[in-house]
Amino acid sequence: MGTQVKDVIIKPDAPSALLLDKHADYIAAYGSKKDDYEYTLSEYLRMSGIYWGLTVMDLMGQLPRMSRQEIIDFIKACQHECGGISASIGHDPHLLYTLSAVQILCLYDSVDTIDVDKVVDYVKGLQQEDGSFAGDKWGEIDTRFSFCAVATLALLGKMNTVNVDRAVQFVLSCMNFDGGFGCRPGSESHAGQIYCCTGFLALTGQLHQVNADLLGWWLCERQLPSGGLNGRPEKLPDVCYSWWVLASLKIIGRIHWIDKAKLRTFILACQDEETGGFADRPGDMVDPFHTLFGVAGLSLLGDEQIKPVNPVLCMPEDVLQRVGLQVDLLS
Amino acid sequence: MAESEEEVDVLVQRVVKDITNAFKRNPNIDEIGVIPCPEARYNRSPIVLVENKLGVESWCVKFLLPYVHNKLLLYRQRKHWLERDALVDITCTVLLLNPDFTTAWNVRKELLQCGVLNPEKDLYLGKLALTKFPKSPETWIHRRWVLQQILHQFSAVDVKQPHQGEAEQADAERGQELSEHLARTLHQEMKVCSEAACRYPSNYNAWSHRIWVLQHLAKGNVKVFHDELSSMRLWVSMHVSDHSGFHYRQFLLKELITELWQAPAGTTTASSQHQSSTGSSSSPLHQSHSQANGESPGAEAAAEEERQLSFSTLIQLFYAEMELCSDLIQSFPGHETLWSHRRNVFYLWQNLRREPHQCSSNGGVESVHLSDSDPVLPEVEAQSAAGQKEAVNGQRNEPMEVDGASLPHPRDSKRLKRGVPLPAPPALPSEYSFVNSILDRCTNPDQRRFALAYKKWLDTVIGQQP
Repeated sequence: MGTQVKDVIIKPDAPSALLLDKHADYIAAYGSKKDDYEYTLSEYLRMSGIYWGLTVMDLMGQLPRMSRQEIIDFIKACQHECGGISASIGHDPHLLYTLSAVQILCLYDSVDTIDVDKVVDYVKGLQQEDGSFAGDKWGEIDTRFSFCAVATLALLGKMNTVNVDRAVQFVLSCMNFDGGFGCRPGSESHAGQIYCCTGFLALTGQLHQVNADLLGWWLCERQLPSGGLNGRPEKLPDVCYSWWVLASLKIIGRIHWIDKAKLRTFILACQDEETGGFADRPGDMVDPFHTLFGVAGLSLLGDEQIKPVNPVLCMPEDVLQRVGLQVDLLS
Repeated sequence: MAESEEEVDVLVQRVVKDITNAFKRNPNIDEIGVIPCPEARYNRSPIVLVENKLGVESWCVKFLLPYVHNKLLLYRQRKHWLERDALVDITCTVLLLNPDFTTAWNVRKELLQCGVLNPEKDLYLGKLALTKFPKSPETWIHRRWVLQQILHQFSAVDVKQPHQGEAEQADAERGQELSEHLARTLHQEMKVCSEAACRYPSNYNAWSHRIWVLQHLAKGNVKVFHDELSSMRLWVSMHVSDHSGFHYRQFLLKELITELWQAPAGTTTASSQHQSSTGSSSSPLHQSHSQANGESPGAEAAAEEERQLSFSTLIQLFYAEMELCSDLIQSFPGHETLWSHRRNVFYLWQNLRREPHQCSSNGGVESVHLSDSDPVLPEVEAQSAAGQKEAVNGQRNEPMEVDGASLPHPRDSKRLKRGVPLPAPPALPSEYSFVNSILDRCTNPDQRRFALAYKKWLDTVIGQQP
């Protein structure tokens, strides 16, 4: 009885060269041709959408093509009285979009256009007694939000305003026997959560608490015969998981444990030669989210046509240098 | 087809009303969906109700969603007033079409707080949204918030308990009512999770919600954990590549270890320990459970008896789990999920049967890990600090027991004296012979790859050379 490993087959005629110009055109045009329905469907995450688009443009050296002032004004309009920032105008503030907004403002070197002190108060106010962070005032707890909180504060140079020790204790309490992390204590290991947690531990200087060999093993097992990486056992490979797994491996100093050439082939095969942009898997529809993680993944794999990317914050290294943020990784 | 702004306005208001009326007509709607239908072909409502299924014709969705979405946002910006009833209807429509629209759920949270909506109504709406969008993170997040509200109601009544006479009886009745309500809620959540798990494989949000529900509504309730473990057995056997489903079993086993084994004497003590260690998490179902058990002072012998029973229960659980895993690996070769499950179950077993001071096989993290999160052996914190420098790949300073079955655990002696026959629990040599037997007659390359990886894992992480 044969089994089918859940994977894709990369066709011989799949794209194998990096089509940077096409991707830049795709992102530049993305905002302008917004269909009412599609636009509405994704408005709840608009701020993150802008971060994905701008970051990939910056990594490709094309940031000046985007409308800087319009975006900064938009972000200002999304900051609420409580200091938190929402995904779009009229939506409720949330840590996810607060981080995206701060990341965008770092790309534009204009953090001071919003009320930074209030952002810090907002983040601080979401920390719980056990060190965890709620995503917003309604109290949902997730290690993703721990990452958002410390990443926001690190970019603003205000890490010391929260109880870092307790925050670390909480994240470590979500560690599993396989070395990975889940969203809450007892939850399954998941590559996206592992990225958040290793990124969190990098930002708080606690990477020595990770069992790098054990976790590195689990992460390497995400690589499938096609070269692509999945996020959990027996899931399909995906460009975004390729980024999260790869970035985590980079953070814990084990990136050389996977087959880089095969992964590059997989990521390149996810490009759309006609429209530009990357999809989750070869042949699927492209979107800005997978376009960022495709390009960022290639950068981590050492592609020199792309600016070096920081694996913790998924931002260009030169931006972090300007901000004055240096994140130590395991070697 | 409607085109002008006024026409859209009229159309959408009619559709929102049709949806509201459909729920009034049939309060048992159990599934929603979009009916592919690119154009309005008949002069009839795009809302179709057939038995308990509610369908929306696809042509109207592209008018409907932007309209109700924008209306809600205008309300949120205080540019447009909406009556409460209208808010209820509009958020319902928006969320059935786009359940990740966080702000719409938040509007409903506010309506719930001021008593316009009741918790059950929102759990129902979420359940319906999950029939079409079984992963929707915001729907699961909202569910947890609603469940917290129900829990708060419960604890509010619980606090008022010490009263006199009639008031006391009334409270007791109310307490009983709430406790039954909670049991029903728990049952319903399990059902909602199962349905979502069937609709989308390895549904992380559904399974982590299920774990959250047990942690908050049934903490320490051994019976619930037991029932879950047995009722999931068939499900995982039919979903052998669902890693999340198997992780759920691992979670249940780990909780059962905590409750049955780590608890020094009986479940009552276990529960009080648990509540103090978990702090914020209340466990109302369990409170009633332990109250029902009653406290029997001076019943040390009975407690010890219970311990022995607990330990043999655990051995049986592990034996059964490994048997299940072996059967599935042999029947369905080449599934990474099954091999990954084997690692975890064996790891849990190793941790359980090892003496506390030897219980560090998680590399350099265990002092923090065990002290805070890992309920397996809470008392090892101090000792494990000394042992934690052991090499990551399992090169141990101390020799490790090899065969768990042949070496009686100190706490296990009574059982052995009584001579109750127990199945052989998993042990390292039996694991090696299992892998070798698979490798010997393996024709499936994936099965071979996973078997070899498991062997390597035994070598390095469990820390024994073959």
